[in-house]
Amino acid sequence: MESVLALAWLVPVLPLASAAVVAATGKRLPWGGAEVGILSVGAALALSAAIAWETFTNPGETLERAFAWSPLGGGFVLELGMLVDGLTAMMFLLVTLVSLMVHVYSRGYMEGEARFTYYYAMLSLFTFSMLLLVISNNTLQAVVGWELVGLCSFLLIGFYWEEKSNQDAANKAFLTTKFGDVGLIVGVIVLSAGMLGLSDTPFNFGETIDAAVSGELATGTIVLGMLLIFVGCISKSGQMPLHVWLPDAMAGPTPVSALIHAATMVTAGVFLLARLFPVLAQSALVMGVIAVVGILTLFFGGLLALVQDDIKKILAYSTISQLGYMVAAIGVGGYTASIFHLFTHGFFKALLFLGAGSLIHAVHSNDISAMGGLRRPMPVTFWTFTIGSLALAGFPMTAGFFSKDEILVSGDLWALNGFATGTYVYWVGIAAAFVTTFYMARAWFLIFTGEHRGAPHAADAHGGHGADHDAQADAHADAHHAAPNESGRWMLVPLVVLAVLSLTAGLIGSPFLQDEPNFEAWTATEVIEGTTYPFLAEYAAGAGVVAAEKGPSAKILHGPPTWHLDLLGIVLAAFAGAVLLAWRLYGKGLPDEDPTLRMGPLSRALVAKYGFDAAGYRYVVVPVRDRLSAWATRVSNDVIDGVVGGTGAAAKRLAGVTYATVDQGIIDGGVNGAAFSAAWWSARLRRIQSGDVQRYAGALVAGVVLLVLAFVAIR
Amino acid sequence: MTGLDLVLLGVGLLTAASAVMTVISRNLVHAALFLAVALAGIAGVFLVLRADFLALVQLVVYVGAVAVLFLFGLMLTRAPIGREALDSQHRGLALGVSGTLFAVLSWLIVDAFGNVRVEEVAGPRIGDLGIALFRDWVLPFEVLSMLLLAALVGAIVLSRREDGESGEPEPVVPIALAVDPDADPDAAPDAAGEVRA
Amino acid sequence: MSLVIPLLLATFLFCVGVYGLIARRNAVLVLISVELMLNAVNINLVAFQNLLFPAEAAASGQLFALFIIGVAAAEVGVGLAIVFNLFRNRATVDVDRVDAMRW
Repeated sequence: MESVLALAWLVPVLPLASAAVVAATGKRLPWGGAEVGILSVGAALALSAAIAWETFTNPGETLERAFAWSPLGGGFVLELGMLVDGLTAMMFLLVTLVSLMVHVYSRGYMEGEARFTYYYAMLSLFTFSMLLLVISNNTLQAVVGWELVGLCSFLLIGFYWEEKSNQDAANKAFLTTKFGDVGLIVGVIVLSAGMLGLSDTPFNFGETIDAAVSGELATGTIVLGMLLIFVGCISKSGQMPLHVWLPDAMAGPTPVSALIHAATMVTAGVFLLARLFPVLAQSALVMGVIAVVGILTLFFGGLLALVQDDIKKILAYSTISQLGYMVAAIGVGGYTASIFHLFTHGFFKALLFLGAGSLIHAVHSNDISAMGGLRRPMPVTFWTFTIGSLALAGFPMTAGFFSKDEILVSGDLWALNGFATGTYVYWVGIAAAFVTTFYMARAWFLIFTGEHRGAPHAADAHGGHGADHDAQADAHADAHHAAPNESGRWMLVPLVVLAVLSLTAGLIGSPFLQDEPNFEAWTATEVIEGTTYPFLAEYAAGAGVVAAEKGPSAKILHGPPTWHLDLLGIVLAAFAGAVLLAWRLYGKGLPDEDPTLRMGPLSRALVAKYGFDAAGYRYVVVPVRDRLSAWATRVSNDVIDGVVGGTGAAAKRLAGVTYATVDQGIIDGGVNGAAFSAAWWSARLRRIQSGDVQRYAGALVAGVVLLVLAFVAIR
Repeated sequence: MTGLDLVLLGVGLLTAASAVMTVISRNLVHAALFLAVALAGIAGVFLVLRADFLALVQLVVYVGAVAVLFLFGLMLTRAPIGREALDSQHRGLALGVSGTLFAVLSWLIVDAFGNVRVEEVAGPRIGDLGIALFRDWVLPFEVLSMLLLAALVGAIVLSRREDGESGEPEPVVPIALAVDPDADPDAAPDAAGEVRA
Repeated sequence: MSLVIPLLLATFLFCVGVYGLIARRNAVLVLISVELMLNAVNINLVAFQNLLFPAEAAASGQLFALFIIGVAAAEVGVGLAIVFNLFRNRATVDVDRVDAMRW
């Protein structure tokens, strides 16, 4: 009997069909195409769930099918195929679920939008692109999906294209990711070129992995290819230093941000790294680079969120930070941990973005300083957003806790094998968890507690800044509707569904499920069995034993999740400390203060927070602006100007001489002569254009004869 | 000179003669009929060259369909008969160019392949062709089917009568029917005052 | 079997086609000449198939010829449709009287 896996190709095809149908007929449908999108993505979700169940209950079950196409013949086959295993099934489930939620949510959020139908067609196309990437069984097809993802994100980020800033954001996202795509494509070519003699299908994932693990693929090829592919992942998954497009990508509609950040765009890079994990695990260098980039991103990306007032930007920077976790986990051998975090992060980040959309819908502003006190008018949004924040902060028993825990443990195990990157992942990861908790708590306090600052309220003359702020508050009040209301049912249902998942999705990989089937057996069986770390022996021959004592088996650095009470204690302490700190800064004084962010030194911690900003200013901006540019000015005035001035004077004299002789005499004469001769010749040559096609044909054949003779002559 | 060579030579001469008649015949219908003979001769060449399936396709598509299509085309456009009516003033150019081309190419071919002999093996079975066509070449095959569909649509659009058009040529130039279906075309009186050479 | 016979036959048919293409005035006859040229190419393909890959089951030369037959069918269809259109609009199918695109 055919298993349900054979139907996997339907999962991407359904959204594609939906995109086509919506684009073709959407405007005539009662809901403007939304029903088509919701139904087809819902069907894709149902199918994904069946596939997920099938692979979950039978760990290691895979199915690979492909159309082979051999345009060049002779040992070079291109494939259009599908590879369905646990990882694919997991991604299917995540992408279709989040996409369905976004489809449903947008029905309410985008109501009355002029380009509603276009929006839905793009949404479905976006989903299709990501699914095409996920299902592909070879790198070339993955690149196609990858580029389609980039295109769709460009179209959706620039959805409100009437405003210049949105166009700029879309261009920025497209160009930044395109920069990485060049690396990706070259990397794919490098890998496949290495595979050419080894296999008929040089782009195939499975064969590439086999060749890499067995050592047939040269190490240099692996290192170069994977580093280049990683450049693609850096740009797509918003790693430093190519993360700059992600915050700007907030210009798109909020549900699109949810889709980009949770399911369809930024996860592509991590997914590709996971797909090629056994290949990159062949080289300590590659893993080291990946780990370092991940560590830098997870920490500094998180810090950036501290100084943001825009709720969407806070979430964007938190995404960067969480992606840093995933990438760092890949770099320290935490394959399962990374994609587990990818899985859980998808749910709670989608939840947070959709929650943020609900808030923005209510108060008509992205600015958290214009919110406040929204707990009572928007109870459902409040509770779901709280759950999402807890999951993001890694509060115990939420989804984010289990996955982040896994990542930190992976770092610890990697450190035991003798790699410093593991240690950094562990401690920097904990520090970043603190930061994450702090900025989410800050946003939470500013949004939900206190009074609604968007609404007009009595001016509180509080220090010297009172007047300014009253004016600002009044301006806000005019712009805003009087009282924020809870969003409609279309928007709340996805929030509730995602909130439930944010609470429960982590259980699938939690220590409660130590035996198969669990998340690890589902997604990682094959990879773990297939991955060798050839460099491990060189570094620490005996380290594996130590790792084994810690829990998971030594070589694979994975294993059934176990409780780590020490880590739990540290994480809890960090969580409590961060919340307390946030509460001290933003919770207590709220009722009678304007808790704006630019108020200056309220406490030492706030100073420290701005100290980061100021340090950047003092050590980067000031030196560049004052010293470097002063020096540059001096150089420019004294040295360069002198040279330029002298050159200019000399050139002027030379030009005077040249003009008289060369220009007037030779060139003008030549130009005029050319014009005259062109006129004379064209009057004669145009007679060739007789309009008689047969004469043309005769001339054509005569020309062929002449060419043949010429070729024979030079042979 | 084996037996096959002789057969090939015979069929080839018939084909070549028919082809020549096609392009110099003074009667349109004769030209089309000679074309059919030449195409059938090419089918014979295919048979000798062990391309059985191709020979059948050639018969069905070309002799069966395309030649008939041309006959329809000739009859519907009511073209006159006679060398001056059928040939343009480029006969000299045409003869020169094609003659030179033939001389050059045949010299090259004899030079390069004059002594090459081909093994007389059994040709590919039709089953193999089918497998190759629908496995390795399925994409070009589908593209070709799209092309045929597009050509079909295009042909219909191009030759469709607009509303109000009668389907008759608008400027009424008196042209006699090219072919009298009841009479022998050669014996028929020249239409529209054309003089036969 | 000698290769040169089919090749020379193909060359001859091609050149006859070229002659007809240039010398014939009637557009339908021009199309007929094009068909001759296409068929000449087919003979070439089949002959070289026999020379280069005599024992190959998947005979790509013959498949190419098949594709050419298909494309030629499309070409005839569209070409005749154009001729009909021409006839309807200009009451002539003589290609040398259709010379509006000239200097």
